[in-house]
Amino acid sequence: MKNIFKLFKKNIIGIIGLSIFMFFVLVAIFADQLAPYDPMEIQFFAEGGVKRLLSPSMGHLLGTTYMGRDIFSQMVIGTRIAVLVGVISAVCVAFIGTNIGLIAGYFGGIVERILMGIVDVMYGIPFLPFALILVSVLGPGVQNVILAIVLITWRNSSRVIRAQVLSLKNRTFIEAAKLSGASDFRILYKHIAPNVVPVSLIYVSTSMASAIMSESSISFLGLGDPMQVSWGRILFTCYQSQAMFKAPWWVLPPGIAITLLVLSGYMMGRAFEEIANPKLRER
Amino acid sequence: MRLAKYLFKRLIIVFITLFILVSIVFLMFRVIPGDPVSMFIDSGLDAESQQLMMKLYGLDKPIPEQYIIYMKNLFRGDLGNSFTYGKSVVEVISERFLNTLVLTLTSLMIAFTLGIKTGSFLAWHRNSKIDLVGTILALIVRCAPVFWTGMILLSIFAFKLEWLPLGGMTSVGQNFTGFWDKILSLDFLKHLILPAITSALYSMATPTLLMRTSMLEVIKEDYIELAYAKGIPEKKVRRRHAMRTALLPVVTIFAVQAGLAIGGSVLVETVFRWPGMGREIVLAVSSRDYPMAQGAFLFIGFATIVFNLIADVLYAYLDPRVSLG
Amino acid sequence: MTLLDVQKLSIEYRLSDGKLRAVDQVSLKLESGDVLGLVGESGCGKSTLVKGIINLLPSNGRIIEGDIVFEDVVLNKLSKESMRKKRWKEISLITQSAMNSLNPVYRVGDQIAEVIIEHEKVGKRSAMEKAEELFDLVGLDRGRLQDYPHQFSGGMKQRAIIAMSLALNPKLIIADEPTTALDVIVQSQILERMNNLLKGYSGSMILVTHDVSVVAQTCTKVAVMYGGKIVEYGDVVQVLKKPNHPYTMGLKNAFPSLIGEKRELVSISGTPPDLSKEILGCRFAERCPFVIERCKGMSLEKTEVENGYFYCIRHAEKEELRKRADLPETWESEV
Repeated sequence: MKNIFKLFKKNIIGIIGLSIFMFFVLVAIFADQLAPYDPMEIQFFAEGGVKRLLSPSMGHLLGTTYMGRDIFSQMVIGTRIAVLVGVISAVCVAFIGTNIGLIAGYFGGIVERILMGIVDVMYGIPFLPFALILVSVLGPGVQNVILAIVLITWRNSSRVIRAQVLSLKNRTFIEAAKLSGASDFRILYKHIAPNVVPVSLIYVSTSMASAIMSESSISFLGLGDPMQVSWGRILFTCYQSQAMFKAPWWVLPPGIAITLLVLSGYMMGRAFEEIANPKLRER
Repeated sequence: MRLAKYLFKRLIIVFITLFILVSIVFLMFRVIPGDPVSMFIDSGLDAESQQLMMKLYGLDKPIPEQYIIYMKNLFRGDLGNSFTYGKSVVEVISERFLNTLVLTLTSLMIAFTLGIKTGSFLAWHRNSKIDLVGTILALIVRCAPVFWTGMILLSIFAFKLEWLPLGGMTSVGQNFTGFWDKILSLDFLKHLILPAITSALYSMATPTLLMRTSMLEVIKEDYIELAYAKGIPEKKVRRRHAMRTALLPVVTIFAVQAGLAIGGSVLVETVFRWPGMGREIVLAVSSRDYPMAQGAFLFIGFATIVFNLIADVLYAYLDPRVSLG
Repeated sequence: MTLLDVQKLSIEYRLSDGKLRAVDQVSLKLESGDVLGLVGESGCGKSTLVKGIINLLPSNGRIIEGDIVFEDVVLNKLSKESMRKKRWKEISLITQSAMNSLNPVYRVGDQIAEVIIEHEKVGKRSAMEKAEELFDLVGLDRGRLQDYPHQFSGGMKQRAIIAMSLALNPKLIIADEPTTALDVIVQSQILERMNNLLKGYSGSMILVTHDVSVVAQTCTKVAVMYGGKIVEYGDVVQVLKKPNHPYTMGLKNAFPSLIGEKRELVSISGTPPDLSKEILGCRFAERCPFVIERCKGMSLEKTEVENGYFYCIRHAEKEELRKRADLPETWESEV
C-alpha cells in the first residue's frame, strides 16, 4: 500500500487528477458556506420583477436561470450529488467486482463458470435504458440511481481481477500458505487480495468517472430527484426552457464541471494503471 | 469448419444470455414493488376491456404462471399494446429501431473513420507536441457529457448560424414514399448531421486511442523495418503494413461500440428529438407506458447482444492467427 | 569494378545517458562479385554497419562522418526518395529476425509479389510467377505461397525471406545472420545456391555472421569487426589461414575447422567492450592474451598486406603469436 502511494505521488497525471477531484470534494463539503443563495429560491429585483436570465455579474457570479435562480449556488450545491454518487458507487462497484473476481479466480470450477456466466449476461444489458426503467419503477432518488449504477457496472472489474488472481494462484508464496494450512478465506484476503489492490484502484477511479457521467445523464433525462439540485438537472431545466440558445452562462458551467470531474477520475485511473502495469510507465 | 464450430458455441451462449435478459425484464416489471396491473393495463380503457387484457396477459395469475404466459407471448412476437400510441408495441418499435440504427451506424462510421486516421497519425508522430495535444484532446472529449456537447452544437449550428435544423428527423410537411426514399433525401441528411456528429465526437476517443496504442506496438515490429528495406514508399508502409495490422483490435471493438452506442442513443436522441428507440424509452418511462418501455428495453438488449456476437465472430474471422477455442 | 566503397564511416546512437559510437571510422571496399564475410561477436557493430549502408538506422542512430559510395553514388547524401528506389532493387537486406519479418496479416506470396510490383511495375500475375520460381530456388513448395506466415516454420520463413531477397537480382545482398534457424546442412545448401545465383549475374553479398566456418565456406573476402572497428580485412583464405590479428586468431579457435584437423574449440573469455565509453588504443587489449603495455597507447597502427590490412602493433611477431594462439592454454590462462 505504501508503495502504491509512493508511486502515485510521482505520477503527474495522477496528481493532476487527484487535485481536480479534491477541489470538487472541498466544494462539496463547504457547499453551504460557499453558496450565496438557496439554489431553488427565485430571486427578485428590489422593485419586484423576477431576475430572469441575468448574465453573470458581481451579484450573480454565473447569472440566473429562466426562473430567476442563482446558477452559481446551483453549481456549488450540485457538486454534492456528483461527488456523493461518484464516491459511493465507485466503492460499491469496486468492492463487488473485486470480490466476485477474487472468488471466481480462486475457487475456479463451477463457481467460476457461474460467476463469469453472470458477467457475460450483464454485458448484454444496456446500461442507460436499464437505469431509466429501474429509477422510474423504484421512484426517483439518489439511492436508486446509485443502485442502478452499481448493479450494472461491477461487471467491468471482475473479469480483470479474476485474470489477476489466476496468475497469482500458482505462485510459490500462495503454495507455501496453502501448505502451512491457511484457510481459503485467509489465503484469499490476506495473501491474494493485497496484490490486486492496484488493479482494483483503477476500477475505483474509472467507475467513479462513469458513475458521475451516469448520474448526470439520468438527471438530464428528467429522472433525477426533482427536489435535489444536480448538474444534470441544471442542464435538464436549461434544455426544457429552451434558454440554452440565449444563455451560455447557464449551459457551459455544468458541462465543464462534469467534464472536469469525470476527467479527474480517468486521470487517476490512468495513474493506477501505470502502477499496476509497469510496462506502461516507460512510454 | 473451425469457424462454424466456434460460431455454434457462441450462438448457444447468446441464446442463454437472451433467455436471462428476457427473464430479468420480466422480474423488473413484476416482482419489484408496485402494481403490475396498473403498469400494464391502460387505465383509460373501460372496465370490460381492462378485464380482457388482464386475462390476455394473465395478470390475475400467480407469478410463475404469468412468466409462462409472458414467454409464450414473446415467442409469438407479442409485446402488448402501447398506451400512448394505441398500437402494438412491436409495430411502433420496429420503425423506431430502424431510425436508431441509421443514426448509430452513421455516427460510428464517422467516429471510426476519423478515429483510425487520427490515431495512426498521432502514433506516426509519436513523442511530438501534436501527439500530446491530440491525446489530451481525445481524453477530454471522451469525458464531456454527450448531451451537453449536443446542446452546444445545437446552439451554434442550428440557432446562431441557422445552418441546420433544430431537431427531429424530417421537416414538417415532408412526404416520403418509403424508408429509403426518406433516408436518402437531403432533408433527412440535414437532420442527421448534428446528432451524428455529436455522438461521433463522443465515440471517437475509443478508436483514436486504441488505434494509437496499437500502431505504436506495430511500428516496432520487424516487418515494418523489412517493408522499408523493400523500398516500399513510406505512405504505403504506413497504410498497407502498419495500419492494416494495427486495425485488427480497432475493427473488433466496432461491434462492441455499436452495442454500447445503441444503449447510449437515449441521450443524443433526446437532445435532438430524434424519433428512435432511446427517445421512445425516455418518453415511455416518463408517461408510464410500461409495455412500451419493456419492449424498447428488450429490443435494445437484443441489439447489444447481437452486436457483441458480431464482435466475437469478426475478431475470429479477421485475425488469421487467432485460435478459435 | 568497385561496387561498394565505405569510407571512414562512423555511426553514433543517442542514448538517454550519452552517446554510443557503434561504428568507428570503418572503411571497406567491395568489388562486383565479391562475397564478403563480416564476422565478430554480437555487439561489435556489424548490424549497425549494414543498416547504415542502406540507411535504415533506428531513429536515434546517425551517421556522423564518412561516406558510403555505391557505384559512384554517395548513398548517405541521397534524397529519401532516390534511396528508397535503390532499396531491394539494388541492395536487399535479410535481417536476423526473419521470424518476425513477415507481416502476419498477408499471405507470404503476396509479400514477395509486393516488392516485385513496387519496383518493376509489373502485374500481379507475373509477380506471382516470379515468386513461384523463387520458391523453387530455395526449396519451398510453390503451394505454400498461399499460406500465412504463422503457418510456416522458422526455417521456412527464413527461406521465404531469402527467396524475397533474390527477387529483383540485386547487385548487393546484405544478409545479416540469414541462416540461424536452419540446420547446418540446409544452411550450407542454401548459401551455396545463393552463391551460384549471385555468380550468374556477378552480384555481391555481405554476409554478417559470428560463425567463422560459414565464412570460410561461402565468402571470398572477410572483414573482422571488433568494438566498432574492422580489425582485420583481406582475402578469406589468407585471413583464415594466417590470421594477423589476435582477435581473428581467437575467433578461428572458437569454431570447428573446415580443413579437417580435429581440435579443441576454445572461446575467448570476456565480452566486447562497452562502446559508450572512450577507449584508448587497441580495443581488444582487455581480452588479448598477447597484450603489452604499448597496446593501450594512443594510436592504432595500420599494417597493409597483400589485398588487405590489419591493426596490431605486434605485427612484427605475428608468426610467433600465431603459434601460441593455436594452443588452447593461451586463451584459458588469460581472463
